[in-house]
Amino acid sequence: MNRKARQEALRFLFEPVIEKLGYKFTPSQEDADFLLEQETLIEAATGIPYCPCQARSNNRAENMRMVCPCIPFHRRHYDAMRRCWCGLFVHKDVTDPDTLRQFPEKEHGTAAQTSHKRRN
Amino acid sequence: MKKITIYALSTCLWCKKTKKYFEDRNIKFETVDYDKQDEAHQEAMMAEMRAANCSGSFPFLKIGAACTQGYNPEEFDKLLKLK
Repeated sequence: MNRKARQEALRFLFEPVIEKLGYKFTPSQEDADFLLEQETLIEAATGIPYCPCQARSNNRAENMRMVCPCIPFHRRHYDAMRRCWCGLFVHKDVTDPDTLRQFPEKEHGTAAQTSHKRRN
Repeated sequence: MKKITIYALSTCLWCKKTKKYFEDRNIKFETVDYDKQDEAHQEAMMAEMRAANCSGSFPFLKIGAACTQGYNPEEFDKLLKLK
């Protein structure tokens, strides 16, 4: 599998999805390349481009909340940070992603929810 | 100096930046890559993180008796200074 080609394919696949959610790829090209590379490695090992910064367990429903782009499953938390957890995607108006803070979901008041509780 | 443990993922960009934060300041730390552990260790790590009301997102840090989640230098500075 050509890793660079798969990275560009993921970029192509994700773009229209995140665009509708009000997000874009991080302006930090280096970070975006690293994260997409990690996702292609994870996809090659598991068959799914999981988030490179969240842990998978043997709970499939929980794992589905980490399939990239996982924004819809963490909408309020990510909107509060103006970025997704791994930083691959940021709000459309973000110009300097280094100024964005990464803080846990509990700090935002939406304590870690079980996978079965539907998010509205 | 406080004991510092970083739970990380080998694929996580912010775990790398977190380690660099402590390396740049010559602060000793231990690190455990969740994705390199066997299932029993993974479950123990996850249970510890959930007990701290944190989801399975990395990095997860224990700085002395406190714990935090995410790459947040200001928070690290604060926790390092706490008595």
